[in-house]
Amino acid sequence: MALEYYSGLVIDGEILRISFVQFMIIANLAIGLFLVGMYINLKKWGMGSTAYGEAPAKSIMAFPKMLMYQMSERAHAHNQSVLETFIMDIVFQRRILQRNPVRWFMHFTIFFGWMALFLMSLLMFAVEMVHIGAGAIGLHTIEPEVMRQMLSLPNVIFSYILLTGIIIAIYRRLFLAKVREATIAYDSILLGGLTFITITGFLAYGLRNENFWGLGMDPLLAPPMALFHSITALLFCIAYIPYSKYIHMIAIPLALLANKGGE
Amino acid sequence: MAKREPSINTENFTAVQLMEIDSCSRCGECVDWCPTYDASEKDPGLAPRDKILRWRDYINKSYGLRAKLFGPKEINEEDIEQFKDDVYGCTTCGMCATVCESAINTVELWESMRANLVKRGNGPFGKQGAFLKLIGEYKNPYMEDNKNRVNWFPDDVKVEDKAEVLYYGGCTAELKQRKLALATVRLLNKLGIKFTMLGEDEICCGSALIRTGQYFINDTAKINAQQNIDNIKAKGAKIVINACSGCYRASLIDWPRLTGQELPFKVMHITQFLQELIEKGEIEWKKSIDKKVTYHDPCHLGRHVGVFDPPRAVLNAIPGIELIEMERVEDNQRCCGAGGGVKAGIPDLALGVASTRVEDALATKAEVLSSACPFCKRNLSDGRDAIGAKELEVEDIVVLAAEAMGIDLSDTPE
Repeated sequence: MALEYYSGLVIDGEILRISFVQFMIIANLAIGLFLVGMYINLKKWGMGSTAYGEAPAKSIMAFPKMLMYQMSERAHAHNQSVLETFIMDIVFQRRILQRNPVRWFMHFTIFFGWMALFLMSLLMFAVEMVHIGAGAIGLHTIEPEVMRQMLSLPNVIFSYILLTGIIIAIYRRLFLAKVREATIAYDSILLGGLTFITITGFLAYGLRNENFWGLGMDPLLAPPMALFHSITALLFCIAYIPYSKYIHMIAIPLALLANKGGE
Repeated sequence: MAKREPSINTENFTAVQLMEIDSCSRCGECVDWCPTYDASEKDPGLAPRDKILRWRDYINKSYGLRAKLFGPKEINEEDIEQFKDDVYGCTTCGMCATVCESAINTVELWESMRANLVKRGNGPFGKQGAFLKLIGEYKNPYMEDNKNRVNWFPDDVKVEDKAEVLYYGGCTAELKQRKLALATVRLLNKLGIKFTMLGEDEICCGSALIRTGQYFINDTAKINAQQNIDNIKAKGAKIVINACSGCYRASLIDWPRLTGQELPFKVMHITQFLQELIEKGEIEWKKSIDKKVTYHDPCHLGRHVGVFDPPRAVLNAIPGIELIEMERVEDNQRCCGAGGGVKAGIPDLALGVASTRVEDALATKAEVLSSACPFCKRNLSDGRDAIGAKELEVEDIVVLAAEAMGIDLSDTPE
């Protein structure tokens, strides 16, 4: 028995339909929860004013308005362009590198690995959707299996990059006294969630390919494990963002833009 | 049943600041560099990261998901009072902003928290509460008759009634550290610069009110800023010179923000003004100082505004001065401990920070610890006295420059 999912397993029409529905329900739920959370955050941020010293705007538009104002305002000492902020501070994370190269390497590998895997998952999803849609009207597009094969090696590489960052993060949280003592649940949940998703991803990969990461378990567990991994990833890495420390993935780039890369 | 009101509100926070509170990744860099956390023997409440965490918790209890679903959760008044004490245990030096990996504009954030807590009835801290009354009544925080700002100038000092250059002396230099004010006016006279001053029409720049979160009360800071601007315009000034870094920061950044208008004149720190003259070869030095000098960057001049080179250019131009840098300078400079109302509110903490900075200077073997702000000079002098480093002279750059130009300041009144 095989449970078809976007993981490149044996195709079975009926099972495919069921898992697809399950996945789509969870995906939409995750996106819905994310949007609700972001709406609540925007409402919360919108409780502030649109200029220093003014009364609270109490409007969902207050945040974008103030952000645009700050981005366009001429600063007295730090007039960095939006492009430089985006490339050097948001993508390259220069400010972390300036403070601590080890922490930069840790954060950069997590960020780079996570983003690459996320984008490849989106690409795979798009290919599957286009394939299904095009097939329904008789058009031929790239086969999902071919795309899966093409993305197989990059997926493995970026998974290991992500894992490297996570291992460094766990090491720091456990063995560096200063970091350990400052750790609170807010930090642990973020790292724990990321670790859990990464491990389930490697398990799904190992079961599918019957290698070390399968831990010798029955390969028939591969499809449910792949589905489990995808669902937890959706819930943890999308739905949970606005309600947890994951919000920093959105808030830090915004703060960098608002403050022109910072002091 | 009536819906419970949130224990705190978002008054005095901008929408971007509320977002910034969510952007803290808790990396801990701010904790490693905070001068008051360090001087307090690592009081966890003073750690910038901890303040952001607590305020985020308060905001989420009041306006987060749970508050939306079940109503705001009450915050213990004792916790808020403790939080207020901790927020005021900060010199607003901006070191945390410099090292913040998330680029949070922490100085503005602390000032917004303070203003919010003042409005709520918790702030300000201790003696800082007198600032508003004193500045409202006396136009300066030192309870001095405002006529005393310049009426003590010796007869040789020539101040024009109107001129394109205006020296905004500031309360501390005019009323407490008169050597700096006298050095500045005699130096300008010697350079042949025709300048004017506001005299008894000068009003406190508002720095003390703004930094301690009291600027909005009765609109005092705004009214004073506008009055100063109007008075400066009436003097025909196109360039305003400050020798006080606190006044410089306030006029350059805070006045336009308070009044909502661009300034109708250019604001310069005296070291910027002197640097231009030095580069044009218009300063004639008469005397060699022959001392090893180190320079302390005032937070309000350096990190807040980015003026790092002009003071060094002046020191390097003075004959005989050997400039030796401390380990922590410019962006990474350690605060003197006086700012943010800490000197008035928590003098022991201010002294602790100053002592550490004086030790930085002593490590360079310099004979003079110079700065470009009378408030820094005052606290660094106190720090020097506290650790018994009598051999270290603490002096302002302008005074050193005046002495090198052969200007006698021995007749400075107390």
